[in-house]
Amino acid sequence: MKINLSKTSACWLAAAMIFSPCALAQQQPGLTATSIRIGSFGALTGPGYLYGKLAMNGVEVVFDQVNAAGGINGRKLELVREDDRCDPAGAIGAVQKLIFQEQVFALIGGGCSNATFAARETIEKADVPFLVVSSVHDGITTPPARTIFSTALTSTIESKAQVEFALDTGAKKIAVVSMRDSWGRARYTPLLEELKAKGVKIVADEEMSPDANDATAQVLRLKQADADAVIMVLFPKPAAVFTRDAQKLGFKPLLIGQTGIGDPAAFEDQVGVPGATAKFRTISMVKYTPDDPAVEKWRKLVEAKFPGDRLSVFNLFGIGSAQVLVEALKRAGPDLTREKLVTELANIREFPVDVYGAPITCTVEDHRCNKAPAWLAKEPAGPVKVLSITRVN
Amino acid sequence: MLLFSYLLLGGITTGALYALVAIGLVVVNKSTGIINFAQGELFMFCGFLAWMTHVQFGLAYPLAFIAATVGGFLLGIVTDRLAFRALAKTDIVGLVLATVGLAFVLRGTARMIWGGKGDYLSFPPITSPEPVMIGDIMVVPQQMAALAGAIAIMLVFAAFFRFTRIGKIMRATADNAKAATLVGISIQNVYTLAFGAGAAIAGAAAVLAAPLTLLYPDMGFSFFIKGFAAAVLGGLTSLSGAVVGGLLVGVIESMAGGYIDSSMMEVAPFLLIMLVLIICPTGLLSLHKTRDV
Repeated sequence: MKINLSKTSACWLAAAMIFSPCALAQQQPGLTATSIRIGSFGALTGPGYLYGKLAMNGVEVVFDQVNAAGGINGRKLELVREDDRCDPAGAIGAVQKLIFQEQVFALIGGGCSNATFAARETIEKADVPFLVVSSVHDGITTPPARTIFSTALTSTIESKAQVEFALDTGAKKIAVVSMRDSWGRARYTPLLEELKAKGVKIVADEEMSPDANDATAQVLRLKQADADAVIMVLFPKPAAVFTRDAQKLGFKPLLIGQTGIGDPAAFEDQVGVPGATAKFRTISMVKYTPDDPAVEKWRKLVEAKFPGDRLSVFNLFGIGSAQVLVEALKRAGPDLTREKLVTELANIREFPVDVYGAPITCTVEDHRCNKAPAWLAKEPAGPVKVLSITRVN
Repeated sequence: MLLFSYLLLGGITTGALYALVAIGLVVVNKSTGIINFAQGELFMFCGFLAWMTHVQFGLAYPLAFIAATVGGFLLGIVTDRLAFRALAKTDIVGLVLATVGLAFVLRGTARMIWGGKGDYLSFPPITSPEPVMIGDIMVVPQQMAALAGAIAIMLVFAAFFRFTRIGKIMRATADNAKAATLVGISIQNVYTLAFGAGAAIAGAAAVLAAPLTLLYPDMGFSFFIKGFAAAVLGGLTSLSGAVVGGLLVGVIESMAGGYIDSSMMEVAPFLLIMLVLIICPTGLLSLHKTRDV
């Protein structure tokens, strides 16, 4: 039998083949009829592993849940991890490997800020959707890159929250102690701008190096300035050294941290001096502590999936971010493309997530989707408590 | 006066730790003529050995001290046998690069073993964390313990080099390697001992520093650079010079932070070193005396 196809019919057939979901899946990297390959980068080793590996563990637990329920429109989520070692060059390499070698559909992750910031250009050029989990550097999302969204707080949002918290507690003499490396500068500059905008003149402005082993000089200068609140733009190590020396020299102001020191229980251990952290308050990206009954479900899932691990706030970062990505993937529908995912990410409004301080809202103009820092405190030898949530505009 | 005394005490304590790192560098340099760029990483690695002994296994602090110093000594010997001996007959650049390589190996190994156990690991204080008043001056027992320990270690090693046979052999080799060979001293064994002793000193310094700081795999470099600065200031071949250099770096750092600006803490010691080296290029107490011709 001879079959004759007219030119029109042939065109229709070709178009149908090209635009069928199956064909679309084949054209989109990391996408098949049964799977969506998602890449994740961050530190898997070194001190930054908290923001990388632990956050990825949280992401993976959410993906497991989704897969157990049948996946997204019949597609199972598959997570591919790469170690950026908290290093800018490492992050660029990790992202290139995920995009071009592993052929992932989208990215979720980013732990250390400077590393993620360095990878921004590569991700932007490749036009791959990326949802930031932990990195806070303003430059990652400001000015907005078309495909990059963040569920992490940003350094400007945290700086505004720190100033607001200090003023809310009635502090009259505010001082700053900061690191001035690229991580510190990314927070220090917006912090000073916010203080200026609020008309606050700081009584002292001290610097510490990330490897400092002694803070006697800084503490004495702040004590002489009679500061009643100290905003700390420090990593846990210099912050612990500062807090120890402050206790030693009888200087007991309100100590205001940020997500770099986001675990008050770990910080109490690091300081190691009873009572020294009694007036320490810090920011968390999530509104629950790991001991909160509200996250019991996630504790069980994380601890079952990763035996030996205890649920941490860093797992919760990943859980929250993964829930947002899953929602956007669902909304993008069965004919999934990277373009549709980006569109849906930009259209998420007031989306309730299990762990964040407020519902998530992203827009085309503003890709900073989480603007609700939670304030944590820990009484000496007591549990970690959520004090309040600051909604930053 | 009170401010001065606090700054001086803090500076001396930190400086004593820099001095110990510097002594380790000088011991190796005196015997082998090379700078061990892995000294900071040996310090870090031994700190983690002490942490495992004291915190993870719950053994007493003196045992952690023994574990770190003996562990450091063995590590020094093993690395000499595995990495350095084969390169001994090549030029000195090869040996120096081998120490740089060792630094990366130790850091990578520490990241694999201890990198996932916590953000920064804390080492419990060995004395009461509460400060005590001596007259008007507030003194922290932990700082005093670290300072006393550092002084004791310096004296022990000074006695070792001055009074023991092995110490004298090491000094003889450092003074004139060819003459030492002629009188039957095995240069290779002296080199091995030097690397072992240098690493043991790094271990001792790490145990003293651990309660004052936090442990993490990347901590070695900053201690190395301060210790190296102290060794250069002291003349690179003088043990007493290393002590003086370490204390000067620590005190200047502290004073600059207290009296000028905290941003000067990192810069001030190096400015002084530049000045000293312009005036006295071989360091403050170098053993390489210049001769009139």
